[in-house]
Amino acid sequence: MPERDHDRSVEHVLRHVLPGDVPAQQQSTCPDAETIAAWHEGTLRAEDAAAMERHVADCPRCRTLMAAFIQTTPVAPALESFWRRWHLGWAVPLATAATAAALWIAPPNTPQLQLSSRAASPVSVDATAPATPPPALSPATAAAEPSAPTSAESLQASGAAATSQLRKSLSENESNLARLADERAAADAAPSTRIEADKRERATITAAPRAFAAAREAAAPAEIVAPGGVARWRIVSGQQIEWSPAARNEWGPATIEAPDVLTAGAAPSATVCWIVGRRGAVYVTTDGMRFMRVPFPEMSDLVAVTATDERTATVSGDDGRSWSTTDQGRTWSAGQ
Amino acid sequence: MASWRIPDALVARLYETARADRWALPVAPFAAALERSAGNTFAAEPDPRALERHLTSLHLEDLALACACAAGHESAWEHFVREHRPLLYKAAAAIDPTGGSRELADSLYGELFGLAERDGARRSLFEYFHGRSTLSTWLRAVLAQRHVDRVRSARRFEELPAEEAPDLARASVAHQPHAARYVELMRRAVVAAVARLTPKDRLRLGYYYAHDLTLAQIGRALKEHEATVSRNLARARRDIRRDVERQLRDRERMSPSEIEECFAAVVEDVGSLDVADLLGGVRKKSQEDRSKERPEGASA
Repeated sequence: MPERDHDRSVEHVLRHVLPGDVPAQQQSTCPDAETIAAWHEGTLRAEDAAAMERHVADCPRCRTLMAAFIQTTPVAPALESFWRRWHLGWAVPLATAATAAALWIAPPNTPQLQLSSRAASPVSVDATAPATPPPALSPATAAAEPSAPTSAESLQASGAAATSQLRKSLSENESNLARLADERAAADAAPSTRIEADKRERATITAAPRAFAAAREAAAPAEIVAPGGVARWRIVSGQQIEWSPAARNEWGPATIEAPDVLTAGAAPSATVCWIVGRRGAVYVTTDGMRFMRVPFPEMSDLVAVTATDERTATVSGDDGRSWSTTDQGRTWSAGQ
Repeated sequence: MASWRIPDALVARLYETARADRWALPVAPFAAALERSAGNTFAAEPDPRALERHLTSLHLEDLALACACAAGHESAWEHFVREHRPLLYKAAAAIDPTGGSRELADSLYGELFGLAERDGARRSLFEYFHGRSTLSTWLRAVLAQRHVDRVRSARRFEELPAEEAPDLARASVAHQPHAARYVELMRRAVVAAVARLTPKDRLRLGYYYAHDLTLAQIGRALKEHEATVSRNLARARRDIRRDVERQLRDRERMSPSEIEECFAAVVEDVGSLDVADLLGGVRKKSQEDRSKERPEGASA
């Protein structure tokens, strides 16, 4: 039986013994309401706070009380590290600026842009129509004048839609509705289905891969859903994975030791999930919970993965390259 | 109340800081509240500087408000009703969204007003507020306390579970001769392993596994980031697993295959309730065994 199954057994027992079977280390008097309140507010002296923690850990009544009390706690905006605030604060403008820069700089008739415009065809009237060289719009003008469906404008629309998608995720994750209200309004103004937005996201990868990768990373946690929704995984804070098996809405920590930032995943079945990240990080789980590092020959920043089973997967780097394996990473072939 | 007095000059300064004059609160009841608070913290007369440090660290404005409400000052009550009463009902709704705690909030409100009398005098619950936390947090803590005590009290009168579950448990273990013993060994090993964790780890596990709090809620309670909670839970679970494996190997002298069977026994042929059934069956069996004065482990 693998360690993951042992962990599951431990969890099973924990659910039954923790309500009260664990013997108290030392029995002390239950604290009064004011001490509980002061503990919660962090105003107790260090030794009193430690005593409280010991007591509540071992006293079923006080732990239940604290669990009820926590539910009454108003939800404050999540505390973020300085780095995360900086990172997220710049992710959306960075993505937008990079997309606009791609519009500004890239020649409209290059094969790459034409490919992008085809990928973004749901908003263009006729993707096969001859592309007219657009006038050299400044980013500001381009944003202000959404009109005829040229290839460049299609790309612009695709970039805007992808950015709005990211903004939506950011606003959900960071509970910062006020700051992102304007971006949301912009997202509402660009009607598109989720599938269309995904296509545009892929188009944007071609146009501005690094900016997209950074913004996508900022938009984590993204959910990775197994076919039929029978299991889900999500990347939390870039380096943790949580798993929700059996289509339940309960998330538990999965085991992964990831020193690098994780960016994307794919789940071909209820127990198999591939995760990729920066600097050639590739992981796979075959039991849903315990992720193993898969050898990978490059130090590329990986931003996407598709998988058909526990052995076969294709990963994509932020520079547009891709690699495939059919033996769970023992060997990789480039460009397939 | 303390047997020593707080210097008048200090009381006057604290009275001003607390803006107690807003409620037309006389100095004497405010001084008495300060002395109750100090007496609650210091067993003996403290060093003047320690006393001042303690008193100035109090939430003085809230203490003055509580004092004025306890004394029945109308303007203070109006303020309390406007600012704090909605929070009280909101907290009650959060504890029990079905509305069950609304009654508790009403009852608590009555106690705050001082409906109960002791020795012929009106006693307000506000007298138990000493200013060590904010008034709103204290109110939520009192409400949670009442809620939990009511739930625990109600459980004492619940019917005992029907006998079918243990019977089913016996049936389920009948075709696995060692299952009951393995489940009990696992339970004991996990309990011992949990007891060896740090209090914070035990608390985190308890919130997560016994009370089904979300990672975010646990994070708010322990002042940790959600990801940190997740990581620490995973580490604690791994520590428990290793500890249990060690116990089974070293203390119970089990072979690797027996250890595997032990771990498998708690999850085999079941849904989530089966282990509870098994444990129920084992516990009942253990109780019967104890009643026959058999030694511990007789259920094995």
